[in-house]
Order: sequence, then C-alpha cells, then structure tokens
Amino acid sequence: MKIGRMRVKTQLHYHARFLALALLMTLIVLSVLALRNPAPAPAGVALSAVPYYKLPFGPDANGTDRPFFPSKMQSATGQFSDPARLPSSSECASCHQREFTEWAASLHAIADRDLIYEAVVEANEDTVSDPEKARFCEGCHAPNEMMTGRVNRFVSVPPSDALSEGVACITCHTATKVEPEKGNGALTLAYHRAETAQAGPQGAAILADPRAHVAAYAASDTDALMKSAEACAACHVETYDPTNSKASAPQKVQTTFLEWRDSWYAKNGVTCQDCHMASDPAAQLRAIRDGDTSDPDRYSHRFIGANYAMTETELGDALGVLRGGLLPGMTAEANRATLEVQKRQTQGFLREAARLELRGLRRTGEGLQLDIAVQNIGAGHNLPTGVNDQKYIWLEVTVSDAANHTLFRSGGAAERLGVEDPEAVSWIEHFLDREGKRITDHLTFQTAAVIWQRKPIPPRGEDVISYDVPLPEGADGSLKLEARLLYRVALPDLIYTSLRRNLSVPPFTLAELSRDLPEDIR
Amino acid sequence: MSKTAIIVLALLLAGGAQAAPRGETEGLREVKAFTLENAAQLVAGSKRLRDAVADYAAIIEANSDDYEAAWSADGAKLAEAVTRIRTTWLAASDSYENIEGIVAGVPSLVKYDLILDAGNPAGAEADVAPYDLGLPDGTVLQRPGSLFHTITEPLYWGGDTGNARAEVDLDGDGTIEPGEVLFETNLALGAAEGLVKWSGKLAADIEAWQPSRDDAFTAVVTMTPTVGDYFGEWKESQFLGGDEAAFVARSRLVDVIDIMSGCERMYRAAVAPVVKSDDPALDASISSGFEELLALVRETRAREESGARFSPEEADALGADAQDIAERIVAQVLQAAARSGVDIRG
Repeated sequence: MKIGRMRVKTQLHYHARFLALALLMTLIVLSVLALRNPAPAPAGVALSAVPYYKLPFGPDANGTDRPFFPSKMQSATGQFSDPARLPSSSECASCHQREFTEWAASLHAIADRDLIYEAVVEANEDTVSDPEKARFCEGCHAPNEMMTGRVNRFVSVPPSDALSEGVACITCHTATKVEPEKGNGALTLAYHRAETAQAGPQGAAILADPRAHVAAYAASDTDALMKSAEACAACHVETYDPTNSKASAPQKVQTTFLEWRDSWYAKNGVTCQDCHMASDPAAQLRAIRDGDTSDPDRYSHRFIGANYAMTETELGDALGVLRGGLLPGMTAEANRATLEVQKRQTQGFLREAARLELRGLRRTGEGLQLDIAVQNIGAGHNLPTGVNDQKYIWLEVTVSDAANHTLFRSGGAAERLGVEDPEAVSWIEHFLDREGKRITDHLTFQTAAVIWQRKPIPPRGEDVISYDVPLPEGADGSLKLEARLLYRVALPDLIYTSLRRNLSVPPFTLAELSRDLPEDIR
Repeated sequence: MSKTAIIVLALLLAGGAQAAPRGETEGLREVKAFTLENAAQLVAGSKRLRDAVADYAAIIEANSDDYEAAWSADGAKLAEAVTRIRTTWLAASDSYENIEGIVAGVPSLVKYDLILDAGNPAGAEADVAPYDLGLPDGTVLQRPGSLFHTITEPLYWGGDTGNARAEVDLDGDGTIEPGEVLFETNLALGAAEGLVKWSGKLAADIEAWQPSRDDAFTAVVTMTPTVGDYFGEWKESQFLGGDEAAFVARSRLVDVIDIMSGCERMYRAAVAPVVKSDDPALDASISSGFEELLALVRETRAREESGARFSPEEADALGADAQDIAERIVAQVLQAAARSGVDIRG
C-alpha cells in the first residue's frame, strides 16, 4: 500500500506540470476564441423586413400580428429567423453522425419533401383564394420554412439547406413550449438560439467552447419538454375548425396524444419517445407487454411509425423520388442503408401492434356465427390513429371448405384493390364536404365533417366483430377460418389524384389468424 | 428664383425620377409579345384538344352512345383517344400556366384566370368563375367552375365519377384502376369548346393590354419558380412510370429551357433596367443566376440527348439545384421590387 501511494504521488508530481500546462493552454485557447468571436449580431428578422409577406387573416383579438396563422405555431421572439443563420441538420452530423443518419430515414426528415404531401398541399391551395392558408399544414410539416417567412404566395426569402428539411434537428432542440390540448402546431420555437449559436464555434471547436451550443440546444426548458410526451402533442393533435376548413363546429381529426394521455401507458410512465424512439422499437413493445416499462437502452432518432410505404425499399428508384430526393448531407449509399434499417424496424413495429383472436363460434340456423376479437396489444394510442381518412385498417375474413372452396368472404379482393367494400369491417374516417359528399383526396380546406365509420380500438382495448357465415347445403368436410387485419397507408384515389399515376401501395398485414374449425360445429 | 420656377423645377425633377429607365419600355413590349405567343399556343392547344375530344365522341356515337358496346367494339381506339385527350390537355394547360402569373395579376385579364384555371363553381364563397357553359345537347351549366381544373381535369382523368360512363381497362394491364373510365361525351365536348372560346377571348384582350412595370415584375416572380414543377415532371416521368411517362411527346427539359429562357428574356428586357438603375450589383447577381439556371438545364438536356441515363438521386439533385437557383433569383427580384415600390399581384 505504501509503495502504491508513493507511486501515485510520484506520478502526480511527474504529470502535474503537463496537466497545468494543458490547463493553461486550454484557457489561452478559450480566451483567444472568446476574444476573436465578437458578440453575435442580434438574432431575428422583423416581419416587416420580409417583402410581400402577407397576413391575410388579420391580427388576433389583442391586435397582435399572426404570422403563422392558421397554424398555432409561435416564434419565441415574435420574429422570423435569417435562413443563412439556421443550421441544416447535416451540420449536426459532424458530431452527431448516428443521430443524423437515423433521422434522415425518418418521416420527420421528409415531412415537407414527400411528393404526395406536396401535391396535396398544392391541391388544397388551389381550392382557396389565399394560398397562405397552407401555413396550417406547413407549421408541422415545414417549421424551418415557416420560421423564415417562406410560406407565402411570393417568396422573397432565399432557400437554404436547412429550409429543405422537414421536422429538423433545430425544431425539437429549440422547442420551448407546447399547448398539448390545442395541437394544430401549437409549438413555440426559439430559433433565435440556433441563430446565435451559429455565430459561436462550429464543428470540433464546439468542444473547446460549448457554451453557445449548450445554450442553444440544451436549454433547461427545451430539455424538459423533449423528454415529455407533450412535445409530440403540438402536431399529433389536430382539429378542423372554421379557420382551416369548412367545419362549422370543431372536428377532431387527430387525437393521438390525447388517446395516449388517457391510456395505461401514460399512467405507467411510458411516453411516446419510449416506443417511437427506442433503439429496437419492436423489442420495446414486447418488453412493455411483458410488464417491463423501463426506458429503452438508447433513444434513436428514427421516430419509427406506421408509414410502411415511405420506407419500402422494394419500390426501388420510386422510393427516392417519392421521398423528395436525398437530404443535404446524405449520400445515395448511406441513404439506402439507413432506409433498409428503417423499413425493418417499421415493419417489426407494426407487427407488434395488434392481435386477432377467435373469441366465439356458434351454430346458427343458416350456418355459423364467428366472433373475432381485434386487439390493440402494442400501440399506446388508438388503432388506427393519426389522420385516418387515408390510413385505415380492415378485417379480411374467409371461411373455406376442405376442397379450398371459399364459402364466405368479407373485406377481400375489392379492398385489396383499394376499392372500399361497404360490407367490410373497416376502421376509417370519412371526410365530407358541405354537401355531405365524401372527399377521398385529403382536401382539408374543403372538409366540413369528419366521421368515423367504426370507432378505433383504444390502447389495450379490443373490438369484437361477429360474422354470420351462411353455409351451403351439403357443404362437408372440415372448415378453415382465415382472418387478417390489413392496413393501408393511403387510398389509391389520393395517390392517383396527386401523381396522376396508379402506383401500387399494397396493404400491410398487421395480424393473422388461421384456425381449423371443429367438425362437430357443423 | 421665383416660386413658379421652383415648382416647375420640382415637377421636372419628380417627373425625371419617375421616368422609365432606359430600355424598360422596349422590355415591356417583349413581355406583351411573350404573353401573346403563349396565348396563341393556348388557343391552338385548345383546338387540338377539342379535335381529340370530337374523335373520342365520334367513336361513342358510332356505337349508339353505348359506352360499354363502344369499348367492346373499339376499345383500342378509345384508349388511344383518351390518351390523346390527356396529352393535349396537358400541353394546353401548360401554355396557360406559362402566362398565369400575368393573367391573374392584370386587372383587365383576371376574369380569364377564374374561367380557365382558378375559379370556383356557383355556391363557393369567393372567386366564382364568371361564365355559363353551353353543351352540345342544349344544356347550359350555370357557373360550373374553371374549365381546366373544375371540369376537364377530373372529367378526362376519371375523377368526376358522376360523369364516368364505363369502367374499362384503358392501359390493358388486366386490372381496372382509378381513372380508367370512359367519360360522358356531352360535357367533354362542351368543355373543350368552352376552352377554345375563352382562350380566344383571352388572346384578344391581351392584344389590347398595355403592360406595366408591375406586370413585368409579377410575371418574372411567378413564372421563374415553376422550373421545379417542370423538372419534377421530367423526373417523375422517368422514375415513377405510369401513363404520362409513356405519352410525354418530348422531354420536359425542352419545356424547361423554353420557359426559363422566356423568364430570362423578360427579366433582361423589362425588369433589369429598373433593378440596375437602383442596384447594379443586385442586377448582376440576378442575371448570373439566370445564366447559371439555363446552363444547368441545357447541360442536363444535352446529356439526355446524348443518351445519358440519370439515377433518381442525380435527377433529384439536378431538380433541387434548379429550384434552388430559381428561388434565389426570385427572392432577389422581390427584394428589388420592394425597393422600387412595385405592386406584385396575383
């Protein structure tokens, strides 16, 4: 022990000079950096400094300008930002490469680039006299463009890499406030922090003087918000009202956060981030189902969700085009690699959401009665959730005889082709215009009512569906029941209207059930 | 100096300050020439569309207006006719899009924007297209909405299900998908005739129009950003497949070159004199932006002509670059317009 202590003392004595020298050098470097970095120019751009920026919807009740209306998004300073001073997410990659690559495959990254989204916004704009109404969409889909004053009939703000990204690094990492019940983009962004940090050290030099970087992206208000599910509520609660649609009374269009808030998951401290940002989301869902609600080992930036089409690498070239091309900072090779992971994780995630169970089987006068339970076993929100005029699920049920002749079918071939079968059991919202006519191409600005055809299934809940299966005279041998819960991410109508092409987006099988029915039931 | 002399001098100076910079007047003449040229193309395109619809209607009529029977007897001809209608519609619509920024921004022409492209049908809160449409069978549709987007686009592409008469396998791939329909001939003919009539009236009114500085700026800032749309169509025609991919008569890059050359010509002729008189450096920057944009598109077209194959990533990058340059140009032109007190309309 004594010898050991002496060695430590000797080593400390030996290294002390070098340590002191290193400390001195660091101080000098920091001082030089501080001296060489003059105080940053004031951040922010006045609304009046963006030529031709229109405020067609007037001020609020207090007479304050509403530059982002009808989105409920806010700028913390009340000002726009200078696009030249907003960092692209690709700049974050110099130190946060893994997070950047994960994010690049996410739907957040392409929220404003996705070809179908762009076409739908344009189609909505064409139905109104003020194209600025599109700010309702862009608040959540293109916060960078919104915050620089680019969502306008005449765009007098030059483009930049940062503005070509959807929900970017700076969006979440400068968020300071959310009004979760309001939704419709009710998020306050402190982009002036990002602007200010751009004047400080960049790249590896941040390590020498991280103060500006920390102040911009790790402020305590933002940190607290990002760890809470409320961060997601700003854009995952959506209501149509007279300011953004033809609805005379508020129509709840998306209630994902509220569904979670009232669920077992919220009560047990499982947040949105715990599942959608888990490094292995499917494994996380299985663990939660098994009672383990501990945090994931790492939070990923893939934001795994339900859009299996925009990660379907088998679409080949078309996928890249549909996603709006390569993001700044990505190579084709890196893009393909990260999309493969995104696809695998998305599909694995979806397969953990639901289960089918044969709950009842009875003989009736004409044949059989089957009860099939559709269970939401993995989603911390309703199944389906989000805006469900496009995304929907339905049940396909067939009963066949020993010779494989189909004796009964519900929700089959027609649905697979994308034509809704009115007889099928479907969980879908219908958007209706003022005359009550159905809108199938997501014309938000023309929607007057939103009607669920069948109520969605709450977290840890189920919906039991009864089928009367008539059996023909003389049908013999064993019967086989097959059921599938299918999910489609967009109606073919929307794709056709948006792209003038019949691009095939096949449904995704969420859950399957196959049973040989007992002979004595017949 | 007497008071009168001072007032006269002040008036002269004020007049001098507001006089058109040298070259602007000639430039405005070019703006008018460009608008007339495209209006003439719109008229010609509408007539071609009317002829295509007439051929389609003749096939249906030859089968006693029985759409199913017509498909059984002349399916191939009908499929070809529908394709021709769609292709000619796109060309006519593009001719209008080229001048939409001007038409929608000029008070004496704006009604044509509502009738042809942007107007709503009766019952809408605003922007109702101010015309009625007569059909061959004598029916008159009161305030039916814009000819391009309310009536003909959904009709010819099968989105107007109320006027779809038979679902058929137009592309012969064995399945009937959305849009694969035979549509009603009476409305199709009436609307095509309406396009001929109203595009002709527009062309006549353009003859009488005297373009202003506001018109020139508006035209440049509305047309230049369309480069991304055309590039997008080129890219989609290559990589997404589908009907239009097969039937685009010529590469969309040719259109991009034509349209952007028109924008550059208009800028140099009518807008640059104003910008240069206030800020020569800004004018130089905008001019070099146009040069860069056209060089990019011409080079891409030259590669395409020499047989180059583009990867989707490459096509995306080229389109994004072009759009980027165009948006920078427009942002600068708008900055200049604001300084000169120009009223950008549309």
